[in-house]
Amino acid sequence: MNLSARWDKILRDILENRTRSLLVVFTIAIGLAAVGTINNTVRILKRDLFGQYASVRPASFSIYISPYQQGLENSVEAMREVELAQAQRIETVSIMLANGQRKDLRMVAVPDFNNIKVNRLNYTEGALKPSLRGILLERTTAKSLALDTGDILTVEIDDGKDYSLRVDGIIHDITARPYKISGEALGYVSMSTLEWLGKEPYYNQMQLLVADHKTDREHVMTVARQVRDRIIESSGHQVISIQVPGDSGQPGEFWASKQINGILLVLQIMSILAIFLCAGLVINTISAVLVQQVKQIGIMRSVGATRRQLTQLYMVYVLGLGLIGTIISFPLGLLGSWGFLDLAAGFINFDVTTVNLTPSIILLQLGLGLTVPLGAAMFPIIKGTRISVYDAIYQNGLSSVYKRGLVETLLIRMRNIDPTILLSLRNTFRNKPRLGFTLFTLTIAGAMFMAVFSSYSTVNKQIDELSRYVAFDASINIPGGANKFTVEREALRIPEIEAAEGWAISNGFIVHSDGNESDRIEVVGLPDNPITIQPRLVKGRWLNPSDTWKVVVNEDLLAKEPSVDVGNQINLKIGGVSRVFDVVGVASKHMMGSRMYMNYEQLTKLTGKHNQVDVVRVLATPGAFGTQSEQGVIGKQLEDRFEETQISEAQSRTRYEIFATFSSAFNILLIILLLVAFILAVIGGLGLAGTMGLNILERTREIGVLRAVGASYTSVLQVVVTEGTTVSVISWVLSALISYPVGRILAEAVVRVSLGTAPAFRYSFAGLLIWLVIIVLIGIISSLAPARDAARLTVREVLNYE
Amino acid sequence: MLISGRERILNGFYSKSSAFEQPTLLEEENLTHFSIEIRDLTKSYKTPAGAVPALKGLNLELNYGEFLAVLGKSGAGKSTLINMITGIDHPDSGEIFVEKIPVHALNEDQCARWRGLNLGIVFQFFQLLPSINLIKNITIVMDFCNRYQPEERKERAMYLLEQVGIAEHAFKTPSEISGGQQQRAAIARALANDPPVIVADEPTGNLDSHTLGEILDLFSTLVGNGKTLLVVTHDKEVASRATQCVEIQDGKIIPEKWGSSF
Repeated sequence: MNLSARWDKILRDILENRTRSLLVVFTIAIGLAAVGTINNTVRILKRDLFGQYASVRPASFSIYISPYQQGLENSVEAMREVELAQAQRIETVSIMLANGQRKDLRMVAVPDFNNIKVNRLNYTEGALKPSLRGILLERTTAKSLALDTGDILTVEIDDGKDYSLRVDGIIHDITARPYKISGEALGYVSMSTLEWLGKEPYYNQMQLLVADHKTDREHVMTVARQVRDRIIESSGHQVISIQVPGDSGQPGEFWASKQINGILLVLQIMSILAIFLCAGLVINTISAVLVQQVKQIGIMRSVGATRRQLTQLYMVYVLGLGLIGTIISFPLGLLGSWGFLDLAAGFINFDVTTVNLTPSIILLQLGLGLTVPLGAAMFPIIKGTRISVYDAIYQNGLSSVYKRGLVETLLIRMRNIDPTILLSLRNTFRNKPRLGFTLFTLTIAGAMFMAVFSSYSTVNKQIDELSRYVAFDASINIPGGANKFTVEREALRIPEIEAAEGWAISNGFIVHSDGNESDRIEVVGLPDNPITIQPRLVKGRWLNPSDTWKVVVNEDLLAKEPSVDVGNQINLKIGGVSRVFDVVGVASKHMMGSRMYMNYEQLTKLTGKHNQVDVVRVLATPGAFGTQSEQGVIGKQLEDRFEETQISEAQSRTRYEIFATFSSAFNILLIILLLVAFILAVIGGLGLAGTMGLNILERTREIGVLRAVGASYTSVLQVVVTEGTTVSVISWVLSALISYPVGRILAEAVVRVSLGTAPAFRYSFAGLLIWLVIIVLIGIISSLAPARDAARLTVREVLNYE
Repeated sequence: MLISGRERILNGFYSKSSAFEQPTLLEEENLTHFSIEIRDLTKSYKTPAGAVPALKGLNLELNYGEFLAVLGKSGAGKSTLINMITGIDHPDSGEIFVEKIPVHALNEDQCARWRGLNLGIVFQFFQLLPSINLIKNITIVMDFCNRYQPEERKERAMYLLEQVGIAEHAFKTPSEISGGQQQRAAIARALANDPPVIVADEPTGNLDSHTLGEILDLFSTLVGNGKTLLVVTHDKEVASRATQCVEIQDGKIIPEKWGSSF
């Protein structure tokens, strides 16, 4: 190839300085890959997850109805406001696992599996519809319980009988929460199978898709009320509750769209940060290249090169490296997207069709890959090519007058300090702009790393908040209710149980002044001075035993009913009876839906279920919680005792199980945040490695002098490694100083988007310490390689170094 | 036929590069008659211990086509003088005219382009670009100054390498050849754009006696062809081949040596 001499020089410089060129290329590639990964993940997630979700015609709302027969849905569908209506039967039973454990199985029956109108299923394997005595399992249930087509499932019905169901096939229901998140198995059966199981053949739920304004919650709720009033209740059926599916409460949105948006927000912040960090690294590395080239710049100027020619030369150099980095970033970004999407798809149960690159992503990476390095390198290039020929050739880029800074002056005054440490410390502060850039990169990377940990810690704190409302070892539902005294007495007969508390629970609705009703609210009637709840009041006060017609609402309710506030009155409708209540307090977020607390007597007066309770919550030792196994034992004893005394055949739930299920929903957030923290650590490490390499390069001659006067290999290593560690520790201190505000901002953003609540921030000291260990290790590792190379040079080689 | 610097400029020698800003020429009545003329040149260097004077009102005149040897002890100011003449460093006061161009008045970029076309420099430590081969080290000078047609450059570089006797090493990088061969490559590079003036700082320090003779013959040929040559040297043999010889002491030309020749 007949390149002109100047371009030949640039090509050879890239090839001959492989380490430095690779550092620039990798820096650019990693930064761009992060951008590509994130943007591609967002794009594919929207295409596949949200696309697949929309394609199954997700219900705008669900109505739980007293038992009805097929045909009612046709009347509903005849309304012009309703596009589609789907009758469903929901029945929860227990299944026996191979290890003897019981699990809840939510069985869904529809009139015609060949014509599911709303929340359509995708068939994965086996039969397309369940046979008599057969079941189609949702794929996350099948995978988690290790069940395949043809396997037999043992189902336990209330009457104590066991039935065997054959797994006819595996289906994918994108509208359902995966087994690992819900903790509930999901299967589809025919009505004839339910009859075979001894159940009455009726439907109890309807899924509806509105005709217009499908994403307008107000409109959807209006249609829901019209359906209730005009068709369902007027035909003699009772509406138990109306629900808009999903965490966001927005019709048409995927159930975890809030959490996904939280993750995407974090990723997008990191993507922007990655670009800034990479720009900082490119500045440092290009500065390094130019420092190495100062003499050559001087030579070229001495033989006639103008500043413009040299600027063009090094701009092409940077563009060349940027282009290589960009090309590498394409497969790397694609791989990253694949990893993220695979993780997300497995966790939230959707299919990734193809992981590909679009022209827009390619253009984005290419644009950034060429402009960011060029923009970042412009300053060092202009600075490097402005140097005078004399300084370049005879001073090798260093000013002839050495300016001693404050730190150096202080170091010189420290007389008792070890000379090698003194040398390391002095070297650290010698090139202050470079130190500044390195510290900037490491500090930002460190602060974000710590912020990621603080965000996770804050999310965990929100989950911990939940524990205030689950302050029991085990609880068991009593469908239909039972006498409070009997229930508590039977629970306390179990030797391990010290405290038992019966709660009355009912569904209620706030009736607004315009006659509209709210979504379903769980209304809890509490005994006096309850011990299985430790509420945190964000406003107002908690209930007093003497309170009458007073309620405390939770923040979850306020999110849906913003007009409710302490001091206001609300018209509460329970079981057809309405009563005005004073709101006296607001309890913190439960993350389990809208809830309202009142004294037990008031609720039972409204429901007419005097002395009846719907759930009992027990504690082995008041003030403390048992271990996982202790809670499991108590739960089992409670089930057995209540079954024996015919109080309830329901399955108990332990505190541990509730937390395990809830926490798992946030594990994906942790994994992604940790991945992001890892990328930041890599970028920070590259920055420090580049700086140390440059520092050593500049001091090759000094190292030669040290070796010539008797410094050992180890002493040289010690000087360099101490320098790297010093930079690391300084950056750690700076990161620590800004980690609190940065962590708070990130945590607030993540929690607000993913949980829809204002977070109570919790700073992560673990993150602070982990980053200290990582950054010191990075400092040692990144300085070891250049130190080893420098220390291995012979004195003659070093002193001849040009 | 000899072409003066003035004629070169007037003949549009610089017109090939639009990037080059034309230096201001002297008025006709002030034109110097020398190839190199230095008037009251002073230069001192700042050090932590204070300013150290290197040149103290130095004056020098060198005719076209002369070969001047500048002698002097270490620290006398020889290299400073070369840096001033080449525009690599700037004087504190005084004037320097090379081929009638006021070098002291040129900015860095003007200086670079002027040097590329009018002055060949042979550095004491060769200062070849380490990553490219000898041919490219020579063609890069033509490339920067847009001198000669691109297809002619390689041919000319090879011709110059033949002239200095290292054509067989044309495709080697500087680190692959000896110090003496690097010195010859540096001389070939200085001749790349066929400049009227050549300045050399200890150009024969790394040469064996046989090569030294060849290089001095080359210098004589160049001078014979009308080039002006200024060489800083310790070598009496180099000085003996010069048409003029001066000695610098404490930043000044010693009067009694001025004008003497060997």
